[in-house]
Amino acid sequence: MSVADLGHVRTGHIHPPPDTFVKKYVFSLDHKVIGVQYFITSGLFFVLAGLLAELMRAQLTGPNNHVLSVATYNEAFSVHGSAMVWLVTIPVLTGAFGNLIMPLQIGARDVAFPWLNMVSFWMFPPAGILLFGSFLFGAPQAGWTEYPPISLQMPFGTSMWCMAIFLIGVSSTITGINFLVTIVKMRAPGMTWTRMPLFVWATGVTAFLSFIATANLSAALAGLFIERTFGVPFYDPAKGGSPVLWQHVFWFYSHPAVYIMILPAFGIVSEVLPTFCRRPIFGYKAIAYSSVSIGLLSFMVWAHHMFTSGLQHWEQFAFMALTMLIAIPTGIKIFSWLATMWGAKIHLCSPLLFVLGFLSTFTFGGITGVLLASVPVDIHEHATYFVVAHLHYVLFGGSMFGIFAGLYYWWPKMTGRLLDERLAKLHFWLMFISFNATFLPMHWIGLHGMPRRVATYDPIYASTNLFVSISAFVLGLSFLIFAYNALRSAKQGEVAGPNPWGGRTLEWMISSPAPYYNFDEIPIVLSGPYDYGKPLPYANIKPELATVPTH
Amino acid sequence: MASDGESKRLKDDQGHYLDAGFWRAVWVMAVISVVLMAVVVAYPIDPWFLPEASTTSVDIDKLFKFSMFFSVPILVFVNGFLIYFAIRYRRRPEDPDSAIGSQIHDHRALETWWTVVPAVLMVTLAVLSYFVIPEYYPTGQAAASAVTMEAIGHKFYYEFRYPGLRNSVMNDAHLPIGVPVTMDITSLESSQDVNNEAVIHSFWVPEFRIKQDMVPGMVVPLHFTPRETGTFRIVCTEFCGLGHSHMWGKVIVDSRSDFDKWYADQKRSEQAEAKGVQPISLAPGDAGAGQTTFNAKCVACHKAAPFEQKLVGPGLGNLFHDPSHPNLVTGKPATPANVADIIEHGAHGDMGTMPPMQVNGLSQKDVANLVAYLQTLHK
Repeated sequence: MSVADLGHVRTGHIHPPPDTFVKKYVFSLDHKVIGVQYFITSGLFFVLAGLLAELMRAQLTGPNNHVLSVATYNEAFSVHGSAMVWLVTIPVLTGAFGNLIMPLQIGARDVAFPWLNMVSFWMFPPAGILLFGSFLFGAPQAGWTEYPPISLQMPFGTSMWCMAIFLIGVSSTITGINFLVTIVKMRAPGMTWTRMPLFVWATGVTAFLSFIATANLSAALAGLFIERTFGVPFYDPAKGGSPVLWQHVFWFYSHPAVYIMILPAFGIVSEVLPTFCRRPIFGYKAIAYSSVSIGLLSFMVWAHHMFTSGLQHWEQFAFMALTMLIAIPTGIKIFSWLATMWGAKIHLCSPLLFVLGFLSTFTFGGITGVLLASVPVDIHEHATYFVVAHLHYVLFGGSMFGIFAGLYYWWPKMTGRLLDERLAKLHFWLMFISFNATFLPMHWIGLHGMPRRVATYDPIYASTNLFVSISAFVLGLSFLIFAYNALRSAKQGEVAGPNPWGGRTLEWMISSPAPYYNFDEIPIVLSGPYDYGKPLPYANIKPELATVPTH
Repeated sequence: MASDGESKRLKDDQGHYLDAGFWRAVWVMAVISVVLMAVVVAYPIDPWFLPEASTTSVDIDKLFKFSMFFSVPILVFVNGFLIYFAIRYRRRPEDPDSAIGSQIHDHRALETWWTVVPAVLMVTLAVLSYFVIPEYYPTGQAAASAVTMEAIGHKFYYEFRYPGLRNSVMNDAHLPIGVPVTMDITSLESSQDVNNEAVIHSFWVPEFRIKQDMVPGMVVPLHFTPRETGTFRIVCTEFCGLGHSHMWGKVIVDSRSDFDKWYADQKRSEQAEAKGVQPISLAPGDAGAGQTTFNAKCVACHKAAPFEQKLVGPGLGNLFHDPSHPNLVTGKPATPANVADIIEHGAHGDMGTMPPMQVNGLSQKDVANLVAYLQTLHK
């Protein structure tokens, strides 16, 4: 398409801004406000789920503690896991970052279906209330995976869990469709597929995964709810159901969900690195296409969570081999990111620090993932603290470090003010060190025979567990630094200006915070976003805002 | 992305990237990697791992060590380059704001290498793993020569059924050293379970490196050969309810003669039972010894406190003197004989299952002592 053909795209009609508080901040149709709503809501759930983790670690400071009763401990780890996956990591990475950043990066004025976007957000707080409200009715106890038959025998809270996760699932599916249509149809003129920022690639693949995979979760949950409520036997073996059926359908969603939780973080890393290295991302196409291949492969590996569930040998081998394949595109990404730092001009600011932390911890989590993919090794390690350690290295060391990199990076675009760098660096080092101190020793006690989901343990693990608990308390404290920094920035934060970091993607070509309707005129994209050696590849942007340093 | 001829060499107008400093860093990382790899190979299995008490465990640890062997250089080089680049290419105070880094977009050879090398490693690991998988699930001759027994998961203990023994053995399985075993692993199905509460358990012996979920309605054979004598824990790794944290059994691997002696003892007591010689009678017990036993064996599930203070089971501090709970879980009145019956044979109630006395490792003497102790409590 030539630029001249696209005149009609640039002159779309513009609605007047909302005039009431409710329309502006509550039932807003603006993708940026919805993004912030996701951040605030997930942030609240992150605090609650984090406190549950600290309670669990308090119980585990010694063997045979009675800080929590056994039942409460079980409820704590189940709600902690469910909330961190469905109420924190997925909504923050898709709902919050996806909404806030993706339309800006493709030069759009909003997502394709703003009203649907609002509906999608408003399914999210009720889901959280249902999940945390389940504590009043006997919260779920069988972990975030809620394997039947035991989840069939639990009180009403488990039904509330089903409803909560079902709601989140519907919301996630709708957002997936919305983002896919937005990315396919609403890119600024001239933004071909290979000129898209890598965060948009990651968000697109994630949206595809949410769209395709989440329906399976909904089906599994509907089955569990119907069986619990009306006794239709899907999963109870005594009535002809199959407990392993749940595991298949659940993991057919929940393995792609792992990538829903990590691909956007990959995207954030791919944005932060070029900006702070002042050079093009190394291997743009390799990174973009490896996201796609990881997305496709993620549908073919679900049964590696079930190597001890009694699969046939050939099934075990097939799922092992497919799982190991994922290591190859993941490796390509990690090596490309490293190569981006080679010969760079590195500004070691807080977003980049979190990205370096991500690279270090996520690589470790990836390596233990390869160990767990090997069937015989997995049979020893499955459902032990080794797995607890591995999944936290991936989802905390990966997703959470990615989320904080993104928060520090896009905070000025969101609020117009910068966070304090010294506090940010203190936050990083405290979080990085206490994270490793918390989760590294768990590998060891897992290999030595400590199973997961236990309220008490053999006294031989006492000293390691005490060390882990103390580290976990420090890890919890490290987030207070961020909270203080965020509150402080509202009044005392330095005013950021349109482009405080020197980024070259489109969100940095408009004022901070982004104005209503983002772009007065839709920009025209002339080439890829990361070429620091060349002039800015955009037409139709305001020259006074385009303050990127060039050669 | 466009990449001109210049960028095919790792060099552009910003400088040459394979300089002396780069090679020095590579050398340092290589030396660290080699040292750590040597440690992985040469280091004895302990204390990184548990004893290797089954033949399978030896092969699994080899796989684990092989994975660690190639993981070490990956971790060293990724973290090493991370640190080296962050220091070497940091922006210096004298750099102008507009200073930029290298504008190389990609490098075909480098990218090929970091695709091919991990692919080769993964294929190698997959092939090596493939040959270990059948050790768990043998077919043909290995299966034919093995002793077949059953392991059944209950809330919250293990039941073992031996060929030739009429009675099950609770929680503590005896096995002879060096004899291949095929254990049929399952969990009680709810139709058989008085509590209608079948759940998934798991049978894991960390020292054997074997694990199999005990799924109700499925029987999965698990194959292994003990190669060390000793007592090893069985741990439940699938969440199974309030008692999950305490669901521990034991595998006692005996020498051949000790095992034969144990088996003969089991057989003898079965025959005595068949003849009607019931060795069960409630002798007068010692409350002091009972308290010690209570604190060792019972406190994981029961408090010496009023009924309402529940852990896994009710508080037992007022068992014999509680007007609001005159009857036991079995529906019988709280008499010493009825309490002893529950401790000996177990019971099923609203809160779950109290296992029989073999599970808790109690003797007849212990039962009598416990009853004597519980009678002294008024709380």
